[in-house]
Amino acid sequence: MSASRNRELLALVPVALLLTAGFAAVFAQNDSQLTNLSLSYGLYFLAICLATHIYIRIRLPNADPYLFPLMALLTAFGLVMLYRLDSELGGELARDQANWFVLGLILFAVVIQVFRDYSVLERYRYTIALISLALLMAPRLPLIGSQVNGAYLGISLGPISFQPAELAKIGIVIFLASYLREHRELLVVGARRFLGITFPPLKHLGPLLVVWGAAMFMLIFIRDLGSSLMFFAAFLALIYVATGRLSFVIIGMAMFLAGAWVIYHTVPHVTDRVDIWLDPYQDPSGAGYQILQSMFAMADGGLFGEGFAQAMVVIPGTNSPLLPAAQTDLIYTLITSELGLFGACAIIATYLLIAARGFKVALMANDGFSKLLATGLTTVFAFQAFVIIGGVTRVIPLTGVTLPLVSYGGSSILANFLLLALLLLISDRARREAREGI
Amino acid sequence: MDYEPISVALKFGFLAVLYLFLLWIAASARKDLRRNRGGDGGSDATIASVPSGSYDAWLVVVKGGGLEAGTRFDVFGGVTLGRSGEADVSFTDRYASGLHARLYPRGDRYFLEDMNSTNGTLLDGGAVTSEVEMRDGSMIEIGDTAFRFELDRP
Repeated sequence: MSASRNRELLALVPVALLLTAGFAAVFAQNDSQLTNLSLSYGLYFLAICLATHIYIRIRLPNADPYLFPLMALLTAFGLVMLYRLDSELGGELARDQANWFVLGLILFAVVIQVFRDYSVLERYRYTIALISLALLMAPRLPLIGSQVNGAYLGISLGPISFQPAELAKIGIVIFLASYLREHRELLVVGARRFLGITFPPLKHLGPLLVVWGAAMFMLIFIRDLGSSLMFFAAFLALIYVATGRLSFVIIGMAMFLAGAWVIYHTVPHVTDRVDIWLDPYQDPSGAGYQILQSMFAMADGGLFGEGFAQAMVVIPGTNSPLLPAAQTDLIYTLITSELGLFGACAIIATYLLIAARGFKVALMANDGFSKLLATGLTTVFAFQAFVIIGGVTRVIPLTGVTLPLVSYGGSSILANFLLLALLLLISDRARREAREGI
Repeated sequence: MDYEPISVALKFGFLAVLYLFLLWIAASARKDLRRNRGGDGGSDATIASVPSGSYDAWLVVVKGGGLEAGTRFDVFGGVTLGRSGEADVSFTDRYASGLHARLYPRGDRYFLEDMNSTNGTLLDGGAVTSEVEMRDGSMIEIGDTAFRFELDRP
């Protein structure tokens, strides 16, 4: 199916073009000079993407043609926005991010090489689950843990700092997918009706609840609320896809609401976040500052935006930020401010298309594990985008997760390219089997 | 030289290329979807439904194996049977090997294969030597354990 590879190749050209145009616009705005430097950045980017494309062509000739270009587009968006921040604030975020992008693609290639038969993941599911839980635990350990804004998100080993929740999300999804693949039938068969609601049998749900409950506990322990929301969504999506029982999802939602209520009243960190979400004006220059500035900045964008490098990110004449954490939490705000409603919709459309392609992969896959894995990976990816975009637009309380592939952050980039590698592996096998008529 | 018009042009050019790109991908994805629908009569979001080209099948415990008679195992996508915990259908039977036999689909048919077990596998009373096709209602016997195969072919 080289037609699909050709389509992938063709799709990478506009992505590189967009990156070039973005860089050119930032140059034009800041240095009042157009050099061919932006063109060479665009060419570098295209060269890296082409190398990856050739690798996919050799290793996974049948894989989905659109996933990689769409993810490259998100990365390009991130690079342009980070470069634009660098040019105003000074710093080397864009260069770091570009390095992480290259490292992410190397990891992508290694994963495809090593896990060509990804069903081995199923055999190590308890090991993977344990490692993921240990990773979630790590930020609370003395010496290597570090705290930012009340949340223990990162670990630092010497010069390297790392957000383990990003990798743990993939590990937990692998565990859930492989466990449910084996036990889904038992969950349905052993179900009992009580008060008109079908409950899953506790015996078979047990190990699932233990691992998943431990993950939720860790996330509350390290106060990473955004990730806990993602885990929950992935868990419910997988249960639904594995059993086809809507009642299990409803029970899950009820459990979530009950849990959220208890946590809201007992964990002060959560109470603060929710109160600020409900009424940011109660502390406009303190806790509510970030979300309020985010909304004003987005309103400034209008329909078509103020243009690249035009949004105000620092208060003029000072060094204090007008958009705090513009490179991570508020990067979506920055894009909306500079490219307007149309730019913002394009970003959301990109995530939607990735989700659509991911679920397509799940539909095409022939075995239960592949289907569940593709569904789970797509759900965490799409839900992460929802959690942060919903957060900055005040649809849900703002929690600090990264906008996948756009926000600045090495572990996020690495984890998402690992996720892409797994999706493409599943897709390659599914489409190959479909073609051979199995 | 004034760069304002260039900036504005770049912004609108960026948005235009971006939207054309996304529309192109959305259009191709839609075409893909339609082709699929024509191909295998529609597909559902849950894996409990019929996937492309193969039908759902079950193994129902008839007797033995330390399993409750009537317990149903989904064999969709293929399963392994045996005494080991690694087997998809795992049961206790002193005549069963760790990985005793496997069931797998090819197209819309299911096949049974003995995986070099010590004591062999019987299908409807006959020993399984190479791969044999499964029919709805076929009886698999491993040691003292018996399963009935059910194929849900419309």
